[in-house]
Amino acid sequence: MGSKSLTLLAVVAGLILANLPAQAHHSFAAEYDTKKPVELTGTVTSIEWVNPHAWIHLDVKDESGKVTSWNFELGSPNLLLRNGWRKDTIKAGDVITVSGAAAKDGSNLANAKTVKTLDGKRVFNAGSSGEPGTPGAPSAAPQQ
Amino acid sequence: MVVLCALASAAHAQWLDFPTKGIPRTADGKPNLSAPTPRTPDGRPILDGLWVADDSRHLGNLATDLKEVPFQPWAEKLFNERRANMGKDDPEARCMPQGVPKVNTLPYPFKIYTTPQAVVILYEMYYLHRQIFTDGRPFPKEFESPSWMGYSVGKWEGDDFVVETTGFNDQMWMDSLGHPHTDALHVTERFRRKDFGHMEVLATIDDPKAYTKPWSATIKQHLLPDTELLEFVCEKNLDPGHLVGK
Repeated sequence: MGSKSLTLLAVVAGLILANLPAQAHHSFAAEYDTKKPVELTGTVTSIEWVNPHAWIHLDVKDESGKVTSWNFELGSPNLLLRNGWRKDTIKAGDVITVSGAAAKDGSNLANAKTVKTLDGKRVFNAGSSGEPGTPGAPSAAPQQ
Repeated sequence: MVVLCALASAAHAQWLDFPTKGIPRTADGKPNLSAPTPRTPDGRPILDGLWVADDSRHLGNLATDLKEVPFQPWAEKLFNERRANMGKDDPEARCMPQGVPKVNTLPYPFKIYTTPQAVVILYEMYYLHRQIFTDGRPFPKEFESPSWMGYSVGKWEGDDFVVETTGFNDQMWMDSLGHPHTDALHVTERFRRKDFGHMEVLATIDDPKAYTKPWSATIKQHLLPDTELLEFVCEKNLDPGHLVGK
């Protein structure tokens, strides 16, 4: 039996793609702005493994040393599970880089598209935009 | 038919990777999803299994295959408002049930069980269910409690399992774009299993208050082998507080 870590290496290729708001779920386009991309590196303070969306809470330090807390919405735990994530894939204390789309309301909220660990190797497809290849898309069904 | 229960994976609490019994497999143990449609001894297709829509096209827009949607004027106006607002008021974003036929378009699986009195469908997303009664009962004379999922009866016509559903409330959106409906909605779904791993649901929307004539969508499904339904309780939905719209 192959190692689970193989599935965890859900490497995302060609993920910068077509913006298809009509296919988004949960009113994605009403909440997030794909024209406001964010990419932040910080320390995970907690993970919430809850439906309809899992959350990564991240403390981000700027150049002056000021710490800002950010909330990243992921796909549902169910879709993350089927994409190879497990609830301990990312843990409190991990330093990660999250990229995604910022909330329209200006709060420290964004929809994660990808999550990279510090070594830069593990790239997880994370968001809930419903774009092809994300856990929100049915192509994320288990692979044989 | 040789069934190989190979690939015993590590036990998982929710059987995420548990091998499904009774699936035809190729010599290397992989599910043979192009095997023939399984049938009962009297020749009727068996629909039982875990299914999911091939893609999200019809979730985005149920009328995606149509050149023109036969809207009543008020329905077109409402549809355009919902579109302009980017789906801000979609009940699904508030964890309300998707309703019929939208439940056939989701990126989450559903599981069909056939019993002597009803075909029961369990939907992973939001933990919904339907009982499609096959015991010959008529619809109630009155729908005392109009509902999101409606009242369903089913019968076989050749290889098609034909489901009629009505008694809806007027709350659901038929897709993420926001095609509306009224309490006059009557949905016909024809479930047609093409082979072991593929099924089509031909859904016809008949709602004379919202549309000038019936219209249809064919939603393709595929079997999900070696996995199971997961729980999906909407326990912490933070989206509604951030829905801005335009």
